[in-house]
Amino acid sequence: MQFTKDSFYMALLQRLVSLNPLQTVTLDGTTRPAIIVAENELVISAQPVSDAFYIEWGTAQMVQGQVGDRGLMEMECVITYHTFGTVQSGVDRGRALAALDMELLSICEPPRTQKRDYTQSPSADLGTSILWTTPNLGKVVGTDAAKNEGLPRGNEGVRLERSASLKVFFFPEVTFL
Amino acid sequence: MSTLPVRAAMVPVTRQVRAYFAPMNRATGAPTIFDPGKYGAFLLEAPPAPWLDLGWVDNFQRFCTTLTEPLRAGIPGSPTTQFRRSLDARIEFDFREWGKLQMALACGSEHMNVLASDPNANAQPSGGTPLAAVPVLPGSTASQINLGVGAVNAFLPGNIVAVDVDYEQQIGYVGTGISAAYVSDPADVNRDANYVRRVTFNVGRVAQQTVTSLLLAQPLLGGAPLSGASVQQVIAFVDREGGSFFQDWSALFVAEEESGGRVCFHYPWLSPTTAIEMSMPLTPTAQPRAVKAFHREEEIEVTKPISSLALHAAFQAMPHVDENDGQTVVCYRSYFPTAMAGLY
Repeated sequence: MQFTKDSFYMALLQRLVSLNPLQTVTLDGTTRPAIIVAENELVISAQPVSDAFYIEWGTAQMVQGQVGDRGLMEMECVITYHTFGTVQSGVDRGRALAALDMELLSICEPPRTQKRDYTQSPSADLGTSILWTTPNLGKVVGTDAAKNEGLPRGNEGVRLERSASLKVFFFPEVTFL
Repeated sequence: MSTLPVRAAMVPVTRQVRAYFAPMNRATGAPTIFDPGKYGAFLLEAPPAPWLDLGWVDNFQRFCTTLTEPLRAGIPGSPTTQFRRSLDARIEFDFREWGKLQMALACGSEHMNVLASDPNANAQPSGGTPLAAVPVLPGSTASQINLGVGAVNAFLPGNIVAVDVDYEQQIGYVGTGISAAYVSDPADVNRDANYVRRVTFNVGRVAQQTVTSLLLAQPLLGGAPLSGASVQQVIAFVDREGGSFFQDWSALFVAEEESGGRVCFHYPWLSPTTAIEMSMPLTPTAQPRAVKAFHREEEIEVTKPISSLALHAAFQAMPHVDENDGQTVVCYRSYFPTAMAGLY
């Protein structure tokens, strides 16, 4: 299962670097591509950085209808990102969020990658591919602004955040007897 | 449970099926052959020539109606051997993308290019008397049509054009590169010099213009224009219920490999079909057979009242003799195991 997580992350990271090499963040003094696996980071009380994709993993289970010792599994994945826009006034925050949306959809295509063992160097091909659904872009949540009852979603907030959900399918490194 | 260092990937997982078609040589009846050994791992976005990518298809179904019959012997009438009584297979699917080829294949008969009409011409459902054709100059290619200074201005970027030769009263298949229709009597087509351009597959979208030529967004399907070819603007495409011509093509369907290997279905010769009888009569006195309704289009609901339209297509698989062993077959299913997959 860890191979699936690693392979998904590496695929999206490599695609992001190829698509937009300037999309970077600085974490712990290190500049790196703006895609982060939350569970791999230091536990600190800092807020997530803006204009970066945070990957979080959820439940995993056998896919219904799959039988035999080569069962296909699915694992939930949520990718969260937020932006304040690129200018001080924040008036382009909607456009900045749309750009992040498009970047996410782009790096998720094609919706598959080889499953590799990244615990060794060079990484080893594990013989199967992992695949995933097209991200479902959740609602935009605006924060850091006085609540305007006339705009219940809060999109006038200076901080716009979205979570995208998808399912990743994979053959686990286990034979079910 | 036990753990394995490498998973055996023997479960093909796919998301969708992609369709590729290639023209048959109608004069000789020779199909286009897909050789899995030569082309099996091709990039789905770049099929090997002359295969044409017709996009993803939905509801892909392969039907086998080949009948087997046992030979019985002995007092209990036990089967001793069996044979195939008839070879029969068909496929059905929906083209999700519309285009000249998709319409022609889904309809199955002559597919008409509606040429830009002379404003004074009588109205015709597949297009009336067209505006005069513009001759193609030598040196043209499948992507660049040379017309000369001035003449090129008859067309604009964005126009669709048909590029083919004049009809010259010949009898037989017409259409450059791909047989688009069969003329058995010149009188049937009113000896119309524009007839070939009315049906040709050599159509293209003008992407840009130079001072002397048209640059096409996609190359002409039938290849570079022949000597004596001309160009006419196409306004729309029309297919018809009826007609005597059958669009016979070779086909390849690929179940996109998500995990577990690629599966391909190759039909050397497909011929379009529509309604089918629900069951074969088993005796001469059998009751009239029910006919399964055939929907020309499928509506795929987006959200009410919005829906997309798909072209429903069905084909009869026609026989092909495999030169390796002389067996008559109608289709080939090939499987390309993924790396490190178990083989049995």
